[in-house]
Amino acid sequence: MEAMIHDKMEQLLDYIMKHCLWQFHSRAWDRKDQNEGILSKTTQILCGEEPAHETPADRCYWVDAVCLAEEYRKRFPWLTSMDKAGISELMQALHERMDVLTITGSLNQELTDQHY
Amino acid sequence: MPYHLFKCSECIPEREKHAVIKGHGEDLTSALPLGYLNTIPGSITERGCAYCGAKHVIGTPMKDVIHISHGPIGCTYDTWQTKRYLSDNDNFQLKYTFATDMKEKNIVFGAEKMLKQNILEAFKAFPNIKRMSIYQTCASALIGDDINAVAQEVMEEMPDVDIFVCNSPGFKGPSQSGGHHTICIAWFKDKVGTVEPEITSDYVINYVGEYNIQGDEEVMCNYFRKMGIQVLSTFTGNGSYDDLRAMHRAHLNVLECARSSEYLCNELKKKYGIPRLDIDGFGFEPLALSLRKVGLFFGLEDKAQAIIDEETAKWKPELDWYKERLRGKKVCLWPGGSKLWHWAHVIHEEMGVEVVSVYTKFGHQGDMEKGISRCEEGALAIDDPNELEGLEAMEMLKPDIIFTGKRPGEVAKKIRVPYLNAHAYDNGPWKGWEGWVRFARDIYNAIYSPLHQLALLDISKDEIPTDKGFATRRMLSDVNLTEEVRSSTTLREYTGKFDCLPDYTKTKNDPLPKKVLSGAA
Repeated sequence: MEAMIHDKMEQLLDYIMKHCLWQFHSRAWDRKDQNEGILSKTTQILCGEEPAHETPADRCYWVDAVCLAEEYRKRFPWLTSMDKAGISELMQALHERMDVLTITGSLNQELTDQHY
Repeated sequence: MPYHLFKCSECIPEREKHAVIKGHGEDLTSALPLGYLNTIPGSITERGCAYCGAKHVIGTPMKDVIHISHGPIGCTYDTWQTKRYLSDNDNFQLKYTFATDMKEKNIVFGAEKMLKQNILEAFKAFPNIKRMSIYQTCASALIGDDINAVAQEVMEEMPDVDIFVCNSPGFKGPSQSGGHHTICIAWFKDKVGTVEPEITSDYVINYVGEYNIQGDEEVMCNYFRKMGIQVLSTFTGNGSYDDLRAMHRAHLNVLECARSSEYLCNELKKKYGIPRLDIDGFGFEPLALSLRKVGLFFGLEDKAQAIIDEETAKWKPELDWYKERLRGKKVCLWPGGSKLWHWAHVIHEEMGVEVVSVYTKFGHQGDMEKGISRCEEGALAIDDPNELEGLEAMEMLKPDIIFTGKRPGEVAKKIRVPYLNAHAYDNGPWKGWEGWVRFARDIYNAIYSPLHQLALLDISKDEIPTDKGFATRRMLSDVNLTEEVRSSTTLREYTGKFDCLPDYTKTKNDPLPKKVLSGAA
């Protein structure tokens, strides 16, 4: 079961790393905000909820989340057969892996620079 | 860590950490070269300096500005001919290059008086231009000329002019990217917020990190215009000085080249709360996704979709004609910075080529993170390569073509590898749907050039075939194609015009529809 979640998570991860740019903002604090903002909204959309998108900042996360959810549904039809709890668990695993790859495990020495 | 030390660089062992080969199962926590560091002594870098990055890359595409280098005349070398950032005011910024022409005596006695005289003369020579930018160089920085004080004095004497000073001398380093950083922050601090713009739409963006190479900006702005969006400013290709002073009034920053100008977007976000949306203007799918995102932000997704559907239907058969003929060709993607990640995956997916290597002259580790993520396994990633490493990589990888700048490109030609000019393009624009097909056509023309095929023969050792004569690209490219592809009635070669730009600009002065925006800004 764990291996199956891992395999699915890797597919979702591969799409982001190949096709998206939002995960590579220049500083650790930006990347944390981006991963959190976009992946949490994507999870909501995939679970059939409507994420907040009233403020400009929220709207920007929401835009990326809508497009990501659309691509996920198109490319990974198995998502539609998952229940909400399963999707949330999978997206949580994805979020944790994204944080490792782009923040905590990143070899990018500029991430902790105090200035832009 | 899968570092790669070139044989030619064994005498510079520090170079090892600047190249990696992405192996099976490796990710960014194990495969990332160093980057954005001072060039290692002994490595003959291909980089430009911080002055070049500030002036030639970022500053000079601004169109209605007298751009002066305060330094020796040689610092202006990379201006005429090598740059192709067009503008719609008859290319003023390309046609006229200004420098104070510092000499030895100025180093001894100072050059501030001469600078002031040059400024006054330039404004007098071009009385319709009221804006100026002045660029520090190594020479004027070392003697401590106070350019800001001179500019202030002139602005007090001539109240109708405005001057921007960029203190980014070449030695500031570590590469032209240091200059990108300096000019972005300086422009933000000194100029943004000093002009109030006329807002003509409820949907207002700054288009940032777009330099209008052979008309890219005109193509993209045409799409935005069709969606009813006002492009308040473009930073900086075809951009206007005063429009760029008004960036603080946009609702969204649409960022293309994050490498050169993400700093500006980040500062605009911090101070004015304008969000940043990174986009890809190259390639059918990335561009479609980009327009869709901008459309969604403003509630204009239907208009975006209409453009996507129309353009894709029109140009996909032409892109696919080239894809069939480029499939499997090996490419070294060796641009300056951002194109390594803008192109790495999409030329593979949409043109069928294999990216065997990426390099960046001045990119940061963040650019390599993007590029390596988008490459397939086995790709060689190099930071700040020197000429010998480039040659060794080509010997090892045997690419069919490389996409790079003029200097390394000419080196490649010597070993019979064709190149396309990744910085200034061959027959651009390359952005937009049509532009992407033009890029594919340029790749096709370079790889299958009959002249290039002749160059592959070495008359000192190869047997020269006497039974072959006349050849065309089509004869060379179609040899191994199936009959179905060769005689396809749906696929077709590029059908656009030699100069396609007028089609994109004919409606640029039409008024934008006005509608009350709810929620987006």
